[in-house]
Amino acid sequence: MTASAPPMLQVEGISVAFGAVQALTQVSLDIHRGEIVAIIGPNGAGKTSLINVISGFYHPYEGRILFQGQDRTRLRPYEVAALGVARTFQNVALFKGMSVLDNIMTGRLLKMRGSFLLDAVWWGPARRQELANRAFVERIIDFLEIQAIRKTPAGRLPYGLQKRVELARALAAEPTLLLLDEPMAGMNVEEKEDMCRFVLDVHDEFGTTIALIEHDMSVVMDISDRVVALDYGRKIAEGPPELVRKDQAVIDAYLGVPHE
Amino acid sequence: MGLITALLAPFGDMAAAPTFLLEVLVGGVAAGLMYSLVALGFVLIFKASGVFNFAQGVMVLFAALTLVGLMERGVPVALALLLTIAVMILLAFAIERVVLRPLVNQEHIILFMATIGLNFFLEGFGELLWGANVKRLDVGIPDESFMLGGMLLNTLELTAAGTAAMLVAILAAFFQWTRIGRALRAVADDHEAALSIGIPLKTIWVVVWSVAGLVAIAAGIMWGAKSGVQFSLSLIALKALPVLILGGFTSVPGAIVGGLIIGVGEKLGEVYWGPLVGGAIENWFAYVVALAFLLVRPQGLFGEKIIERV
Amino acid sequence: MIYREAGQFKTSYAADQAVFPLVQDRWVVGLLLAAAFVVPPLLADEYWLQAVLIPFLVYTLAAIGLNLLTGYAGQVSLGTGGFMAVGAYSTFKLTTAFPELNIVFVFLLGGLVAAAVGLVFGLPSLRIKGFYLAVATLAAQFFLVWLFNKVAWFVNYAPSGTITAPPRTMLGVMVTGPRAIAEVRYLVALALVVVFAIVAKNLVRGRVGRSWMAIRDRDIAAEIIGVRPLRTKLLAFGISSFYCGVAGAELVFLYLGSAETQAFDINISFLVLFMVIIGGLGSILGSFLGAAFIVLVPIFLTNLPHALGVDASVALMKQIELMIFGGLIIFFLIAEPHGLARLWQIAKEKLRLWPFPH
Repeated sequence: MTASAPPMLQVEGISVAFGAVQALTQVSLDIHRGEIVAIIGPNGAGKTSLINVISGFYHPYEGRILFQGQDRTRLRPYEVAALGVARTFQNVALFKGMSVLDNIMTGRLLKMRGSFLLDAVWWGPARRQELANRAFVERIIDFLEIQAIRKTPAGRLPYGLQKRVELARALAAEPTLLLLDEPMAGMNVEEKEDMCRFVLDVHDEFGTTIALIEHDMSVVMDISDRVVALDYGRKIAEGPPELVRKDQAVIDAYLGVPHE
Repeated sequence: MGLITALLAPFGDMAAAPTFLLEVLVGGVAAGLMYSLVALGFVLIFKASGVFNFAQGVMVLFAALTLVGLMERGVPVALALLLTIAVMILLAFAIERVVLRPLVNQEHIILFMATIGLNFFLEGFGELLWGANVKRLDVGIPDESFMLGGMLLNTLELTAAGTAAMLVAILAAFFQWTRIGRALRAVADDHEAALSIGIPLKTIWVVVWSVAGLVAIAAGIMWGAKSGVQFSLSLIALKALPVLILGGFTSVPGAIVGGLIIGVGEKLGEVYWGPLVGGAIENWFAYVVALAFLLVRPQGLFGEKIIERV
Repeated sequence: MIYREAGQFKTSYAADQAVFPLVQDRWVVGLLLAAAFVVPPLLADEYWLQAVLIPFLVYTLAAIGLNLLTGYAGQVSLGTGGFMAVGAYSTFKLTTAFPELNIVFVFLLGGLVAAAVGLVFGLPSLRIKGFYLAVATLAAQFFLVWLFNKVAWFVNYAPSGTITAPPRTMLGVMVTGPRAIAEVRYLVALALVVVFAIVAKNLVRGRVGRSWMAIRDRDIAAEIIGVRPLRTKLLAFGISSFYCGVAGAELVFLYLGSAETQAFDINISFLVLFMVIIGGLGSILGSFLGAAFIVLVPIFLTNLPHALGVDASVALMKQIELMIFGGLIIFFLIAEPHGLARLWQIAKEKLRLWPFPH
């Protein structure tokens, strides 16, 4: 990581509003290659909105987003995905009608080229590509230990497993930047430990840069390199985990000191 | 070049004979208000339950068939009307019990397709009960043409227009300003959430579908008196769909405005541009206008802008 | 089905991805296919071929087309009739203009024209969703039917306003036209449906099918993970309209012999939609089952009073038919939204365990 290379992701002065609701105001942050950044804040602070802006689902009315030094503010979501950004969703957005295997395979759609005509006859390059992608996805299934459920329709899985499948789908895209929106919400201690292990393994083995929204402070302390805290749509603190957790503004935000 | 002149020529025709234009406009407004009546039924049900009732057109037909059927058997008009109202309320109960309750909280598209099924069922059932030939519907509304200021007008059409306008006003007020109206809007938003805060879903649905049934009766009477009670009535009701697109699916005033635009636009298109292409533009004009509109404003003139969240 | 799959382990992903992974399944399907090609032409009488089997094959193709669009890609369409009409009329124009071209090839060309039209009417689907899209497809339906009604060029200025299948041969045998025998028309329709069903199956189990289902299940999430919505939806509209176009051409050239625009009006759009719902949304097998069902019910109803010794008018039977269709739609949507195909799957699973209950 050379000092002169721009950070992988630069968010500069982003503001987002829906009608009268101000979701984000002048938020700036950088994410460097290979980091694990945790985004924290009370409910409604704008954390998911921030992720949505980075994925291209919302567009800010002011500010810029730079991905590897290039302005990407106006990109559509599938264009952002093509740049190597993958994410999971707060309320699990799996494709209920498809099996786990097919869900994860959809994560590979970006990598799959080809003409539908060749697909139609299931021959040659189309067939080989399908099988190669299947092999890749199976490795991810092994990695996340979900072999037993690969043919189960996604809608029938318990919540914790659904979250894991969502992670698998995000990983299938071989992302350079992985955005995780509360990946451990609603999990018990064991499931959380497993998820932490997976996240760290992903980071260690593939060097993926990770930004995650998380409420559980012990998780945040354990796995993140840096923490960014939001409240009421603004950034209120940023730095290493031990410092941010002691930051007065952060404590006030969580404890609910009245705001102006 | 010739094409452009041909397309623009009708404007000249309009200016040359302004009274005729007015007459066409009045006809368009009258037709438009009748479309609005049918669209109202849709809006009611959609607003209150989030269900897109494809069968609204057939309900109009069914109501008219019942009314005429009773009258043909010698039942006096007033009693027939009361009985028809009772039948439509019974129908509402039946629909809620058989179709809606089992499908609570399914995706809207499933409910939509269920109403398509309902459409066909009621069509067959109605014809089974009352027969399939065209019937004359005479509820005592005078059907005379008269001249006013050089325009040819018709009392039936004016009565229909007036009734429609009145109904629309009443319903708009109902939704906006009463407690029940608000409860209905909550139900439309989210069935489960409404249930969880104690709104009696079943009752609400029966109420709403009954009201829609009454509106269907009104529409059926108007349309039936004008052109006889027959199957094509339900096709006319299909035309209410573009009205909904223009006006938004959840807006009562939108149903009026949408209906007027479609009614007037159709008449103008048919009378002035129709001859250019051999006529019968009315078959598709409304739909194409709706399509063009959707491209620009997917939620219609008055509908709520759909904000999608992830 | 009633046989056990024990002992059959798949040792490659290719084997796992196969359409019929079980050896027995492959045998059964192979035999059925062979029987389909051989038995009816030899044994079935004119009535069965003309009134049941040929329309079944034609409607199956249309049902597969609509299923791809509505069942897999989630785009509700009420314009099926219109697209079928495009296929039929363009086939008619092309074959009357170029009589030497192989007629099946012309069917495919007609399908391509329908695909192009489908792409145009599919463009709004980027902005419009759900029932709004359904209404937009009504624009396609009504406009196209009106177009073919009004513009005499399409019927080669025939005063009757109908298009008639001219006699065409293939390999020396009369395939279309008044002298084409039912057996030949049946075999052509069968061959086409088998080929296109295989193509459809290949599409839906791979990359294309997955992108369609992703859009259907959660279009926003799909876009965020990289599915390109316009391209995916347009592909669905194009391919679906192709299938419906070929089916429309078959309707006139292999089944009816001649037709007016009435054959393609909104009723057929509803009919095909019913086939897809009853047969099973998102299932190729379902398209076959739904089409078979819809073709057989009226036949059954027409013959039932006679079989019971009761006298009933045609009109009455038609009304009961409407009620049965409508009622069944509602029933299936409540009880088994995945239609006959899912019921078949459940039956197979029960048979697997039979005679044990679980």
